[in-house]
Amino acid sequence: MAQNRRDFLKTLATIGVSTGAISAVTPQVAKAGPTNILSDNRMGVLVDATVCIGCRKCEWACQGAHDKVQQDFIEYENNDVFKKARRPDTNNLTVVNKYDSELLGSETIKLQCMHCDHPACVSACIVGALSKEENGSVIWDTDKCIGCRYCMVACPFQVPALEYYKALDPKIVKCDFCFERTKEGNLPACVEICPVEALTYGKREDLLIEAKKRIKNHSEKYFNYIYGEHEVGGTAWLYLSDKELAGEVFPKLGNDPAPGVSESIQHGLFAYFVPPVALYALLGGIMWLSKDKDKSEEKL
Amino acid sequence: MKIMIKFLLLVSLWSVGIFAQINNLRTHAPMKLDCKKCHLCDTPTKAEPCLVMCPRNKIEPVRHSVEEAPVDIVINEVDSEKDLYTPVNFSHKLHAKMSLMSGGCAICHHYNPPGKIVKCSTCHEKNRERENLSIPDLKAAYHRQCMACHTSWEEKSECRSCHELNDNIKISNTILPKLEKSHAKIKIPDKIVYQTDSDKGELVTYFHRDHTKLFDLKCMDCHKQENCENCHNQKPDFSKPQPDDLHDKCSDCHDTEGKCYVCHSNVEKKPFNHPTKTGFNLSNFHSNISCITCHKTKNRFTGLKKECKNCHKDNEGYFNHSITGIMLDETHKDLDCEDCHVKNNYMKRPTCSDCHEEDISFPKNIPGEKVRKNHD
Repeated sequence: MAQNRRDFLKTLATIGVSTGAISAVTPQVAKAGPTNILSDNRMGVLVDATVCIGCRKCEWACQGAHDKVQQDFIEYENNDVFKKARRPDTNNLTVVNKYDSELLGSETIKLQCMHCDHPACVSACIVGALSKEENGSVIWDTDKCIGCRYCMVACPFQVPALEYYKALDPKIVKCDFCFERTKEGNLPACVEICPVEALTYGKREDLLIEAKKRIKNHSEKYFNYIYGEHEVGGTAWLYLSDKELAGEVFPKLGNDPAPGVSESIQHGLFAYFVPPVALYALLGGIMWLSKDKDKSEEKL
Repeated sequence: MKIMIKFLLLVSLWSVGIFAQINNLRTHAPMKLDCKKCHLCDTPTKAEPCLVMCPRNKIEPVRHSVEEAPVDIVINEVDSEKDLYTPVNFSHKLHAKMSLMSGGCAICHHYNPPGKIVKCSTCHEKNRERENLSIPDLKAAYHRQCMACHTSWEEKSECRSCHELNDNIKISNTILPKLEKSHAKIKIPDKIVYQTDSDKGELVTYFHRDHTKLFDLKCMDCHKQENCENCHNQKPDFSKPQPDDLHDKCSDCHDTEGKCYVCHSNVEKKPFNHPTKTGFNLSNFHSNISCITCHKTKNRFTGLKKECKNCHKDNEGYFNHSITGIMLDETHKDLDCEDCHVKNNYMKRPTCSDCHEEDISFPKNIPGEKVRKNHD
């Protein structure tokens, strides 16, 4: 069922009125919350920034796997893009940026959706389009998405992008952890093409063990921290680097899941649609009152 | 009785076996290792040690010379790359030679069990989805090995430095520049003047070309601990080289403890000149031979007499003309040197006109036959 904003508002109004009426009588209504599975076998990717050579083949492969506009792959050897830090957008679901590094002179780091264990976007989505799947990926249902951009605001990593270029019916776009590919037993496109295996795909818990092993065995090479292990409650994508990533590459985030506060407000706000209905009722009431006033003025 | 003898024989054989094992254990036991760390099976024998194949930290040097190394190797074991690029034609021998200036074969062959050199794919799995994530897969292993050096100087990752594009790959609007594959010609400096802080003389003039060409030193004799980056460095380190490092390089041949004046001076030194230093002119016949042809004692270049007989002598110590490259025939053999070499001047051509008609001359006519000079 395709749904655009207008349809959504219509549905909302209809549902709002009816639920408002129902909720007044029965406060207990079955709540269709978003899918938010936190499986023990969820997958992840370990990004070893010390290995990355900045060839940007992952960007190329990603665009191919998601039917995006792909340049000749030779173009990706052009290093001029590194002059400016980029953010994932609608055509580049993943980007490689270059950062200064203490040990190596420079370090290239791939950015994309982190696929949080407690995703703020899923919690913020008012239509339940986003979901955390059993394999660890955070994906969304394009048909449900109404382009409200709440997820963009909610995301602590500023990942989701909106198709601003579409005048009608823009949707949210972000890395989907190659959900379709992994479902068929393939590796995510970026992981598969990476020539140096800077990206390692595996069970998140295995990756954490592997990451700790690497830090232990090569303490001279790594900054002793796995970014993503605890950030905002943990992310599926984990980063190893020779320096602290929080602050320069990623924002400094706490270890509490981002949805904690926002969810309570959000869910409180939309609980059983009471507040919106109340608001509608209030507005309706004002309208009703002012309508009478108009009539009484006319009579005069 | 026969049974007893048989029994005794068996016992003695068995005990020998035990002793042999104990002997073996002697070297192993103090190591306090878990057998399983190196051996896969419970009862390893000498014939079948069933060794664990791929420990990264156990570097066994490759035991053969660079000359025996394969020249080129086509790396075509990685499947997925073939879509975009053709397999890499790896100039193995060239790299092996260069490796001698840094870590040797072991910088790439970082693990090798005793015996044959194992393929990369022995340890590195072809499949990226695998159990052991600690060892990179084959594709990553190759790339990491190459890129470790190649990115360090290029600071870019042009795949085409090593790979050719596959024929079925269409490039729409990009004109690809031709890439130079061979190594650029290495510019060998003629001389390097080092500015030092030494009070024995500020300048050290090092005649590089003389050392390589005249004194016949191989690159590896001095460049033992090099790194590709030392030449291919985009951010060269202009800090002064430390005296210790430089002394180390020279100390194999020169006395760096005592005779400072040999190298240090307040003015730029002149190159080594054999005739002015020693009085023996090398021109004409001795200019193209290496020092050690005559100065046979290693690192000792003094004490040779100027007489020809010093080197051009036979086993009994007599002058041997053959060593000059011409074996005299019977008629010329018994002549005096002066008969042809006027006034014993060997720098000039020999004269034949004293005995022969005018149409006979050297080197058109040879008084014997040409032979291989013993230093060629």
